[in-house]
Amino acid sequence: MVLSGWESVFFWVFALTALVAGLLTVMAQNAVHSAMFLISTLVSVAALYVLLGAEFIAGVQILVYVGGVMVLFLFVIMLVNVSAEEHGREELFNSPAQVTTAVVFAALLVFGLFYAINKSAPQFAQAASATGAQERAASLRPGETGVSKISEDTQKIGGSLFRYGGLPFEIASVLLLVAIVGSVLLARTGKQELSSDNTDAEGEYVSTVETDAGGDVAGT
Amino acid sequence: MNSLITPAFILLQGSSTLDNMKQSLQHPDLSKFLIIGALLFAIGVAGVLVRRNIIVIFMSIELILNAANLNFIAFSRYLQDTGNVNAVAGQVFTVFVIVVAAAEAAIGLGLVIALYRNKETIFADKIDLLKW
Repeated sequence: MVLSGWESVFFWVFALTALVAGLLTVMAQNAVHSAMFLISTLVSVAALYVLLGAEFIAGVQILVYVGGVMVLFLFVIMLVNVSAEEHGREELFNSPAQVTTAVVFAALLVFGLFYAINKSAPQFAQAASATGAQERAASLRPGETGVSKISEDTQKIGGSLFRYGGLPFEIASVLLLVAIVGSVLLARTGKQELSSDNTDAEGEYVSTVETDAGGDVAGT
Repeated sequence: MNSLITPAFILLQGSSTLDNMKQSLQHPDLSKFLIIGALLFAIGVAGVLVRRNIIVIFMSIELILNAANLNFIAFSRYLQDTGNVNAVAGQVFTVFVIVVAAAEAAIGLGLVIALYRNKETIFADKIDLLKW
C-alpha cells in the first residue's frame, strides 16, 4: 500500500498536523485548549483513516470520538475547571525530576519503536508492491467521479461483525449499558442519594409496598 | 541505533541512499503510518506521566488509544493488499476500541466529577489520601 502523488501530500499534512496537535495537547496551559488540540488530532487521524481506505471508521471516529467523547470532556472541563481559573495559575507539570524521567522514557520508547519499524520496513515495501494491491485496485468499483475507488469496507465490517463477532458485539452493548448506569450512579449528588434511599427523617426503614387494611399487599 | 545513525550514514554515503530516502518520503507506505502511530503513542505516554490535571491525563489516554487504532487500520490495509483473508479484522477491532474508549471516558469523567465534589481539586498529586 504505497501512497503517491496528492495522497502522499495529504498524508504528510495530516500526519504532521496530528503530531503537532498531539504535542500541544500535552503542553497546553488551559484545559480547554488541550481539548481543542485533541479534537484537531482526532480529526487528522480520521483523515489518515480515509487515506488508508477505512472510510467507515473515519466516520465513526468523527461521530463518536469527536462528537461524543470530546463534547463530554468539554462539559466536564467547564464544570470542574472554572474555579481553578479563579485561584490563579496553578502549576501545570509535575516536578522537574518526574518530567525528565517521563521524557527520557518516552524518548527510549520512540527510539525502540523506530528501530523495530526501520528493521522491518524493507519487508513492508517489498510485500506492498506485490500483486495484491493491483488486484484489489482492479476489483473495486470506481466512484462517481471516476477517480477513486469505492472500497467495500463497510460491507465487510458489517458482515464480519455479524457472522463472526456477534458475541463480542453483544458484550460491547452490555459494556455500554454498564457504563451508562455507572456514570449516572457516580455523578449523583448527596441529596439525590439520600432521597433515593427508603428511609425517613430519623433513618428508619420505610417500606414502599402498599398494604391495605388487612395487612395484605394491595390489589391481591 | 539504526534509526539514529542512518541519517548520518546517508549524508556520508552519497546519492543512492539519499534517493532511497527521498523515494520513501514521497511514497509513504505502511512503515510511515506505523511511525506516526508510535510517535502519537509516545506523546500520549509522556502526557500521562507529566501533567497534573486529571482531565488532561484522560486526554493523553485518548491519544494513546488513537495511536493503537491507527496501527490497527494501517495493518488492515496492508493485509488487504497482501491478500490475507482476515484483513478486515483490524477495522472490526478498531470499532471495539472506540466503543471501549467512549465507555471509559464516560466513567472516568464521572469519577472526576465525584472526586471534585468531595475534594475540590482536580490535580493528581493533591489526591493523596492513601499515600503513606
